[in-house]
Formats: sequence, structure tokens, C-alpha cells
Amino acid sequence: MESATVTLDHGHSEHHGPPEANQSSRIDRQTLGILLFIISEVMVFGAFFASYFFLRVVVNPSHWPPQPYELPVAVAGLNTAILVSSSFTVHYALESIRRGNRTGMKLGLVVTWMLGATFLFIQINEYAHIGFSARDLSFGTIFYCLTGLHGAHVFIGLLLLSFATIRAFRGHFGPDAKDHLGVEVPGIYWHFVDIMWLIVFLTVYVL
Amino acid sequence: MRVSEEAVFRWVVIVGAVVAFLVVVTLLTSALVGAILLLLFVLAGCVHAYRWAMRKRRESRG
Repeated sequence: MESATVTLDHGHSEHHGPPEANQSSRIDRQTLGILLFIISEVMVFGAFFASYFFLRVVVNPSHWPPQPYELPVAVAGLNTAILVSSSFTVHYALESIRRGNRTGMKLGLVVTWMLGATFLFIQINEYAHIGFSARDLSFGTIFYCLTGLHGAHVFIGLLLLSFATIRAFRGHFGPDAKDHLGVEVPGIYWHFVDIMWLIVFLTVYVL
Repeated sequence: MRVSEEAVFRWVVIVGAVVAFLVVVTLLTSALVGAILLLLFVLAGCVHAYRWAMRKRRESRG
């Protein structure tokens, strides 16, 4: 929070509002905040993965996925490629602003947003055509919970990227590390979403 | 401690490569082999994270 300082007529400055927070960590507070948030998110995903493996290993059904259901592995593979590509484009956006290339940053952010939106669109389309719902057996429930939880994270990531993109087009960011935290923090979150999808894809669609 | 987007991006590439390897192995063999390999990679990741955390702890104290 920014504190306000008012200079009075007789030369004294009077401080208003709460004092600046003491930064005892060697990591800036925005990055520390997103890292702590990601750690809590890993635990949320961990609970869902524990449920998945419980159903898969402990309950041990004769067929997985239960017949006659089939998972669209090829479409999910294409979606994986799209999401992994978006990590490269957001990294390109960061590298561009570090070098002072604002056009590259804008291009990287816009392409990342479009790739993320494409991923979400394909996933919703997959839900519409997959042939089972969250009510169909525990398999359907855990499938929709895991992929839906991840989809919600992609949606939040897109919101963060939207704010970063709008700010980029308004000329808010600069090459100094403290001047492009508004791109770096959403970038870290986006990479986390990407890593989680790789694990979801491997466990749900491939194994 | 330097934690940046670059460091996280490096982990995207590492996890991506591991997942690609596991997908190929699973498709060539069976889901059980893929699951065992995944478990081994997860254990290796935990050991790496523990050693990294201990090293950082020693550095911050020393």
C-alpha cells in the first residue's frame, strides 16, 4: 500500500496512512505472494490427485475408463501442445520487456492470451462431446473435477493476462525488474497452470 | 534467493520433457510401467526439493 506524505507550509512533512511494510525477505513481496499462493494450489491439486489414484488403484475397477466411455487422447494432446506453446510465448513477452522491446512484449502477451483462450474453448467443446457427465460413475466425477479445476485455473490465468495485456498497451511496463512485475507474476502463475496440465494430461488421459 | 519467471519456465521445460518421455514409454509398454516411472520421477523431485531447501537453509544461517 502506498503511503501519503504531505509537506506542510512550515517545511515539516507529515506522514499519512499506515507505514510501509518492512521487507525482511530477500524476495520481493509480489513474487513471494504468488509463490505462496501456488504452494497452496499445489495442495488443492494434490487432494484431487489423491482421490483420482484412490479410485484408480485402491478401488481398482476392471476397466479404466469404464466401458463404454473413451477419452479423446488426441484432442487432449493437441490441447497440451497449445498450452505448452503458451508458456514459451509468455516467456518471450518477459524476455522482450527485459530488453526494452515493448512491441515484443505486447505480441507475446496477446498470443499467450489467444492460446489460453483456444485451450479453454477446446476443453469446453470436449465436455460437450465427450458422452458422459460428472454424474456418471466416480470416473466421470473425478474426470470433471480434475480437468474442471484446471480449467478454472486457466480462466483465472486468462484474467491475469488480460490485465497485464491492457497495462502493456497503456505503456505501464519497463525493462527494470521492478517495472515489469505486472507481467512476471502472471507469467509465473501461467507456468504453474501449464505444469499442472502436463501432470493432469499424463495421469488422466495417458496412464 | 532468486525466484523469477525464468526459473519457473526452466521447470516447465523440464516437466514437459519428463512428461513427453513418460507418454512415449507408456504408449510403448503399459500404463503400469508409466505409473511406476512417474512415481520414481516424483520421488526424485522430492529428494531434489529437500536437498535444495536444506542448502538454502544452511546458506541463510551461515
